[in-house]
Amino acid sequence: MNFWAYLARRVALMIFTLFGIVVITFIISHVIPADPIGAILGPQAPPELVEKVRHEWGFDRPMWDQFVDYLWKLLHGDLGKSIRTNKPVMSDLLYYFPATIELATAALIVAIITGIPLGIISAVKKDKVPDHLSRIFVLIGVSMPVFWLGLILLFVLYYQLGVMPGPGRLDPYITPPPRITGILTIDSLISGNFDAFKNALWHLILPSFVLGYYSSASIARITRASLLEVLRQDYIRTARAKGLRERIVLMRHAIRNSLIPTTTVIGVSYGSLLEGAVLTETIFAWPGLGRYSTGAFLSVDFLAVMGSTLLIALVYSFANFIVDIIYAFLDPRIRY
Amino acid sequence: MLANRPGENMKKGVSKTVWTIALIIVVVVIAAVALMIQKPVKPAQPAQNVTAPSPTALDTLIIAMDTSDAVSLDPARAYEFASCLVANQLYDKLVDFELPDLVHVKPEVAESWEVSPDNRIYTFHIRKGIKFASGNELNADAVVYSLQRVIKLKQTAAWVLTQFVSKPEQIEKVDNYTVRITLDRPVAPSFFLATLTFTTGAIVDPKVVEAHAKGGDMGSDWMTDHSAGSGPYILESWERESQIVLVANPNYWKGAPPLKKIIIKHVPEPTDQLLLIKKGDVDIAWDLQADQIAQLAGTSGIVIEKVEGLRLIYIGMNVAVKPLDNVKVRQAIRYSIDYDSIVSNILKGMAIKWQTIIPKGLLGADPNTPYYKNITMAKKLLAEAGYPNGFEIELTTPPTYPQIDIATKIQSDLAEAGIKVKIVQMTQSEMYEKYRKQGLQLVLAGWGTDYPDPDDNAEAFGNYRVKQLAWRNSWYDDYAANLTEKAALEPDLNKRDAMYKNLSEYILENGPFVILYQQVHPYVLRDWVKGFVPDPTFFYLDFSKIYKKVGS
Repeated sequence: MNFWAYLARRVALMIFTLFGIVVITFIISHVIPADPIGAILGPQAPPELVEKVRHEWGFDRPMWDQFVDYLWKLLHGDLGKSIRTNKPVMSDLLYYFPATIELATAALIVAIITGIPLGIISAVKKDKVPDHLSRIFVLIGVSMPVFWLGLILLFVLYYQLGVMPGPGRLDPYITPPPRITGILTIDSLISGNFDAFKNALWHLILPSFVLGYYSSASIARITRASLLEVLRQDYIRTARAKGLRERIVLMRHAIRNSLIPTTTVIGVSYGSLLEGAVLTETIFAWPGLGRYSTGAFLSVDFLAVMGSTLLIALVYSFANFIVDIIYAFLDPRIRY
Repeated sequence: MLANRPGENMKKGVSKTVWTIALIIVVVVIAAVALMIQKPVKPAQPAQNVTAPSPTALDTLIIAMDTSDAVSLDPARAYEFASCLVANQLYDKLVDFELPDLVHVKPEVAESWEVSPDNRIYTFHIRKGIKFASGNELNADAVVYSLQRVIKLKQTAAWVLTQFVSKPEQIEKVDNYTVRITLDRPVAPSFFLATLTFTTGAIVDPKVVEAHAKGGDMGSDWMTDHSAGSGPYILESWERESQIVLVANPNYWKGAPPLKKIIIKHVPEPTDQLLLIKKGDVDIAWDLQADQIAQLAGTSGIVIEKVEGLRLIYIGMNVAVKPLDNVKVRQAIRYSIDYDSIVSNILKGMAIKWQTIIPKGLLGADPNTPYYKNITMAKKLLAEAGYPNGFEIELTTPPTYPQIDIATKIQSDLAEAGIKVKIVQMTQSEMYEKYRKQGLQLVLAGWGTDYPDPDDNAEAFGNYRVKQLAWRNSWYDDYAANLTEKAALEPDLNKRDAMYKNLSEYILENGPFVILYQQVHPYVLRDWVKGFVPDPTFFYLDFSKIYKKVGS
């Protein structure tokens, strides 16, 4: 099979998956016994108002009818209107998503630059002190709730020691740069506002560390396991037998081959970083997709919930897709 | 054989040691962190241990608040706490309340007014010389435009005005400084004027608004995050889920406010708010919880301002469900509950015991609290009603704090009187969906007053014809309904006050409610914030009266 046929098949599969997600989220959100109108108008709204608003939003029509309508609009790039913010879901997503991308990307970078070296070190120094230390780091990473870690770090580093900034994306006194991409670090660079850039970067450190920690731990674990596996292979023994220096054996022969499973984990991590951002965004007052979708869930804002689910699903499939492509570069044996 | 093979033999032993070491380290880290938390923050030097506000910061107020409910700052649309609070700083109204008095309406844009003898026609005389932030003049045209705009846009909050004024033509300009409003039906002046103090009564600048109108929306889209008012502040920016920034209106007709800038930082997590206020990085923390308030009490540099909010928490008893139809059974339930314990143990003082339908602070509020836990009395009443062995009943509650704790407490209290309560948990929206259809037995719910007039509560709790709380509990009592409707028409403030007290007493004894308590709202301030009057409603707070001063 050539690459293009593979690509076409993958895209078709992706569309099919997304359609399935639309169907499922639509059904779930329409059969749960919660009333979106009641949620938006509050418990005190007069009954006539409830009925009037229900009619205006079309929630009194048959479910099938609403579904066809939703699909038709979706194909035209219209995700409907959020009942909570009273704005098109599409524009809401465009507003909130960049902050999450910024956070998740920074977290991924943290995870990669700490996770991979840690995994390598602990594989090379297997059962020695560095391995034990890294195992403890990993153990804490996978078992500590994000919520707790975030609050503790804020308490110690911001409140007690004052070395880190408090929650939020910028200090209140800093004038934010004009919105171009919605990613503050990039916007402030584009507009040449270096104070804002430094401040935004400073504010990014703690949340991206908290969010990236878990992924860092799993990346370290998988890197260690797969590197150990590779180190047991015959060709490594051959390389050593040739008299190659251990550094060359590792760098040129072992690590590259051990990175394939790591790549998978990184790809999947990016998707879960986007989801995992919910708690981190709450603790660090980060105006991202996580907070938007939580708010949507709590106020039974169906269209916004479906829109955010779809967006996350899209990113997830896309990340997996990219991972598959990267495989080919890491392992020339893989052909499509 | 590989060089590191011997290590494999030791693996078991080593990993045991490793786990022990790991465990010790984890325990030590946790203990260290716990100790750090325990270590009291050095008191007595709040302004020093934090960055003391620089001279520039003295004219800037920073508030940490959960603003996630805000939808739009257009006064014709604003209906949520955060949006109403902000809109109130941006706009003036014909009349307004001045905290802490929520009974007597004060002139604002309207210098004076007359009411026709039949209480239907209101003539307002507009103060001359008021300018909008844009420099345009505020005159009768602006008032007529603004109020008509609310009626025409038909947004969520429009009912506050349209309940009396259903058509735009009923608001007329008489001359440049006089506006006449003709109501659909006569109504007590104190009542109509109170509804004009709500955000829907805000006067907007027609020229600015119309310049941004598109597609017949009367500027509503633009007004979502821009301001066009004559109030003490101008909206500089609203970054959703991030912050709202207000700057002083230099043309404000009452004089420029002392604070030049107000930053409302969106901080959804109360623990974060606690850290920020303790550190002194914000001046006011809006949403702290009872245990956090308890923790802050006595901290120097921090002031806690508490006020009774206009929200009552009650149990609704659906009288269509036997034996709740029996007035003695309802009395017995009221005599089974330990109100004091709910207020002090569950709500930790963030509530006051209150048993009547109109909250403390409003006209007609009746402070009578005759019910207390008296199991003998409850059992006697149950026996008289024909239920000497009690009965079984369902209590529906949302699955949230503190409702669950209260429901459990009530369950155990009622059990003492022989009433077996089954607690049913439902999400808020599902519960209200059922409640609205009269589909619950006992329900733990709350009622917040929309605008500070007793009619809002009286109608809900007393008049089944408006299909609110009385109707939801199937209590079709014509005496209460008639009294409610009559009180809404009474022009004399004292007589009106007496009528609501009568109604309250009647419902206290016969109604389908057990009112448990009135919520208390705590505001936490740094001591350099002066002139802050805590607001029971959230939206009469006037930022132009607040200033900052370090030291006393």
